[in-house]
Amino acid sequence: MSARTVTVRVNGVVRTEESEHHTTLAEHLRTALRLTGTHIGCGSGDCGACVVLLDGEPVCSCLVLAVQADGREVTTVEGLAGGGGLTREQRALIEEHGLQCGFCTPGLLVRMAHAAGRGGGEEGVLAGHLCRCTGYVGIRAAVRRSAGDAGAGR
Amino acid sequence: MSAVAFDYTAPTTLDGALGALDAPGRTVALLAGGQSLVPLLTSRQVRPDVVVDLNGVAGLAGIGIGADRVRIGAMTRLREVERHRGLAAALPVLASAAAAVAHPHIRVRSTLGGSLCHAAPAAELPAVALALGAQVVLRSARGVRSVPAGRFATGAGTTVRAPDEVVTEIVFPRTGPFTYEFSELCTRGSTGYPVAGVCLGLRADGGLVRAARVVVAGCGPVPVRLPGVEAALVGRAVAGPHPGLVASVVAEATRPGSTGPEDREYRAEVAGVLLVRALAARAGREGR
Amino acid sequence: MTGEHRHIGRPVPPRHHERLVRGGGRFLADLRAADVLHAAFVRSPLAHAAVAGFDATAARRDPRCALVLGPDDLAGRTAAIPTVWRLPGQPQESIPVAVHTARYAGQPLGIVVARTPTAALDLAEAVRLDLAPLPPVPTVADALAEHAPPVVPGAAGNEAGRIRFGSPAEEIAAALARAAVVVEREFTLPRVHHSPLEPRGVLAAYEAGTGLLTVHASSQSPHAMRQDLCAVLGLRADQVRVIAPDVGGSFGSKVFLYPDEAMVCAAAVALGGAVRWVESRAENFTGAYQGRAQQATARLAVSGEGRFLAFDADLLADLGAYATQAGAGPHQVTALTLQGPYHADAAAATVRGVYTTRVPTGAYRGYGMQEAAFIRERLVDEAARELGLSPVELRLRNLIRPQDLPHTTHTGLTYDSGDYGAVLRRAAALAERPPPPDDPPWVRRATAVVAAVEISAFAPTALLEAFGIAWSGWEGVRLRINHDGTVTVHSGVIAVGQGIETSLAQIAAEGLGVPLDWVRVELGDTDTAPHSDLSAQASRALTLAGGALVIAARQLAGRMRALAAGFLKAEPEQVTLRIAATADPSSPEAAFHGAGGARITWRETAHRGYRGWGRAHRTDRIRLEESVDFDPPQLTFAHGAHAAEVAVDLGTGRVEVTGYWAVHDSGVLVNPLIAHGQITGGIAQGLGQALTEEARVDGAGLPVTRSFREYTLPAAQDIPEDLVVEHLCTPSTVIPGGFKGLGEGGAILPPAAVACAVAAAVPEIAHTLTSLPLTPSRVRAALRAAGITAEGGIR
Repeated sequence: MSARTVTVRVNGVVRTEESEHHTTLAEHLRTALRLTGTHIGCGSGDCGACVVLLDGEPVCSCLVLAVQADGREVTTVEGLAGGGGLTREQRALIEEHGLQCGFCTPGLLVRMAHAAGRGGGEEGVLAGHLCRCTGYVGIRAAVRRSAGDAGAGR
Repeated sequence: MSAVAFDYTAPTTLDGALGALDAPGRTVALLAGGQSLVPLLTSRQVRPDVVVDLNGVAGLAGIGIGADRVRIGAMTRLREVERHRGLAAALPVLASAAAAVAHPHIRVRSTLGGSLCHAAPAAELPAVALALGAQVVLRSARGVRSVPAGRFATGAGTTVRAPDEVVTEIVFPRTGPFTYEFSELCTRGSTGYPVAGVCLGLRADGGLVRAARVVVAGCGPVPVRLPGVEAALVGRAVAGPHPGLVASVVAEATRPGSTGPEDREYRAEVAGVLLVRALAARAGREGR
Repeated sequence: MTGEHRHIGRPVPPRHHERLVRGGGRFLADLRAADVLHAAFVRSPLAHAAVAGFDATAARRDPRCALVLGPDDLAGRTAAIPTVWRLPGQPQESIPVAVHTARYAGQPLGIVVARTPTAALDLAEAVRLDLAPLPPVPTVADALAEHAPPVVPGAAGNEAGRIRFGSPAEEIAAALARAAVVVEREFTLPRVHHSPLEPRGVLAAYEAGTGLLTVHASSQSPHAMRQDLCAVLGLRADQVRVIAPDVGGSFGSKVFLYPDEAMVCAAAVALGGAVRWVESRAENFTGAYQGRAQQATARLAVSGEGRFLAFDADLLADLGAYATQAGAGPHQVTALTLQGPYHADAAAATVRGVYTTRVPTGAYRGYGMQEAAFIRERLVDEAARELGLSPVELRLRNLIRPQDLPHTTHTGLTYDSGDYGAVLRRAAALAERPPPPDDPPWVRRATAVVAAVEISAFAPTALLEAFGIAWSGWEGVRLRINHDGTVTVHSGVIAVGQGIETSLAQIAAEGLGVPLDWVRVELGDTDTAPHSDLSAQASRALTLAGGALVIAARQLAGRMRALAAGFLKAEPEQVTLRIAATADPSSPEAAFHGAGGARITWRETAHRGYRGWGRAHRTDRIRLEESVDFDPPQLTFAHGAHAAEVAVDLGTGRVEVTGYWAVHDSGVLVNPLIAHGQITGGIAQGLGQALTEEARVDGAGLPVTRSFREYTLPAAQDIPEDLVVEHLCTPSTVIPGGFKGLGEGGAILPPAAVACAVAAAVPEIAHTLTSLPLTPSRVRAALRAAGITAEGGIR
């Protein structure tokens, strides 16, 4: 009655698990699918730590019910690099010291990856992402560097 | 951080949705974009028996630009409002106000109807809808009715929507000779929550105000028009000076008998300042 | 060739960051645990109430319920948490876990354990509380009012105790009497939320058979937590193990055992199983201890020539409902550092602790020093204005000069080394630039420069003993070369995102002359980490663990060389160690070389050492491990100067920080990348406190700031693009390696810098800029009071 199966294609893999109606997509990813890279920092859409791509668009996974993702495609931080080397954004974040504790990093990286997929350097890519450690200086440098790297690669 | 258990249904037709609302003895929450409702659910401030998800209902989203009117489906995402080319030409203020809401990853989900129903006191779109003279269209098994935006919200977070009704669309008159703009002050950065906002509609001629429409948000439970301020602007030079205008905005927005947040005097003053600056910017753009 | 392995001073990104960017973090909520149950708390909805009833009948009947512990159950299962640093006269020596009087809204009264997190919340709601309301005492003024309701038994007038530091009263009075100008102001530094992005959390597992309690906790100080848990649960030290996994920020908020965390552990013991609690953001806003919370009346006396004669302050510390383990500690540090980097004929401060019905307060990055800097630098600025002097000139005139060091202040702190004037002048020079041509008429723009010292290496055992702080201050490390030649470091400090594990690896690698990737640093497990009560607090991790590691590496490098020399039949000083940058320990490229082409690889040297072969004497130590306990002779003082440029909107009162320049001297920098990140992160937190952050309650004492909507952290857009951090280097004279701390330095000065810059931009309101945060409405109110209309500047 209050639960049903939810099938999501996550990072390219189709996963079917039970979910209660009131479970958010963030909780479903973390608990049922054991993808704990997506973090819950506030539960109100203010911090951006839980951002994932839902059918290619960045959303706060704490503000979407898991049942709403049924039949849809989700990309989490774990899916950004595939199995191989780091993405340009991941490398830039490391090299520019754009993370410290790393708790806010997953949502930010998903957002940066989305911006990169649209040609990079999206205006306001940091809007809606809170970081309490870095003061954003390293993050901004990483956004610039990855945009620059992308430009050089084209 | 976990909602009280509820039933969930995701109808695909409006009739299906209306049927799902017919749940005697049970509380029902309508789920639109979810960006305001879901946190209320997970923090247990809203505890419905049933959640009716409108996201799969056909025909509730879309933007139609007509000769006299613009119709926007209630489930149209703010991102669509923000980016729609025809809308940018027909009602640019709506696009710019939508772009001022929260963050991109909120606007991907957030809807125009949801924004009006959530009725946050300082929210952008209810203020703009009021200034533009929009009509909110509601459907129920009993029929259809249309409510002016100014009478839709009854207080902070409350509206005239009956439990069996669904907002289906919002209808905006084309603005004719008026040109509108929206500006606001936020708590921090460009991502903060609005403290106060103002929507100014202006018909000007030869640098003089011929007619004005002024709506302020954040100074009370719902956005309000300021007819006194509007009247006082008529005949003045757009470029100003506007002596006493801020004070008259404060006086009218906080008039005795009205209610609002503790710091409403400050918020009203900010609205007045935003109004004066909007006028100056307009004059500047038009070379006076 | 060992010269290739210069690691100190290199900007190496922390190596575990690759794991974090892949989503491989191991934060508390991420840990896998078998058969784990979930906890939720029954918290007081009122600020002050007698708990007449705690009826869990319905909850216990629910099949999803595993356990409910109410006040009576907890009283039988827990003792109170001992306090460590008390004010003289403090009537309350511990913090009870089981309570029958709620003294703040959000206080945990009981714990519910259930199969799922949702069920735990459902059942916590099902507990029926019978509360008899008592009058709330939400503010210090309320608490000190005549006939105020008592908060803590035995605390007359709600005072927790008082202490005075510095010059005798008559010296202060004499200085005030001969002053040309005495500036006196009232200051308020409000309560703030630390707001680490990861809230708190505990996963406790108890095995009845072995009697072992294993606790994973998002903690900044696992050893202190273990010590407190032993006291609360009546367990032996060897029964409790505390492990900190990845910690998503702390900033001082995760340093003490909290009553709710203790309840989770008590529940695990009661159930003989595993119980997890992950704090929600709303709980963090209401239940986690807060920072700052200080009011002050402070004076600065200045002579006609602009010489500082006296700093003097009366500080009121809002301790909340209980003095926490360190109680009024931060406020005592305010008193101790009020004099800052300046000479003065006298300096003194009195601290009074006050109980209120609000959540307790405690450590927050900058620990009393931010408060001191705000009070002091604003007073200096006001004095400059009254004397008609340039504020920078007045500061330079009074700064302690390099040739004056070491210098002992009136409160007994001995500054070791530095060049305060050079740092201030550099910050001022960086900030100099012409105003932009396109400011609208309603904007006023100006710059200010401020200065502070930062206590670091908070340890000296004698100092802690003198203050009666019942914690260990010394820091131990164990440095081991493993049988395969790799290197392991064990330290009691802890990683909370600051990158300490990488900095320690750099120190070890440098000391041993090996590549960085041979070194692994193990932190955060009380079973393996050397004891450390203070751990990574108080800008001490790098100075103390790093200092110990410098000594340990020197010793161990010597032993390796001696072993190799024995094999090579040479004297140790005749042996050369050559290690190629990419070599592994068994490579011929990683070897000690003797005469005539003889060599032995690093790995073989280590392996022989492990077998005990090649010792010069039978009594020589075998294990290739050095344990060093480092107790520094005194504190070492970092220092800095910050300059802020602000644009003040006269119409809305909004203050925008348009440029920020920070110059620090933290001695030898081990990792400039990490150092830079520490400073910029601290600056952002300081800017938040300067402009937006304030934990508020309503008249009934109920929290109003309960989410990031009401409590606004700085976002990227709030941090100026023009943010420059520079470091000068005066090596510490008391710490091996010359290191000084920098974890707090960035956070100490921003409120002072911003407020002084606003004062410079709008001198009409300068005298009022003594309360934080400078929110638009507060600034606008000051402008209005000064007669600057909302149309101000609009032509």
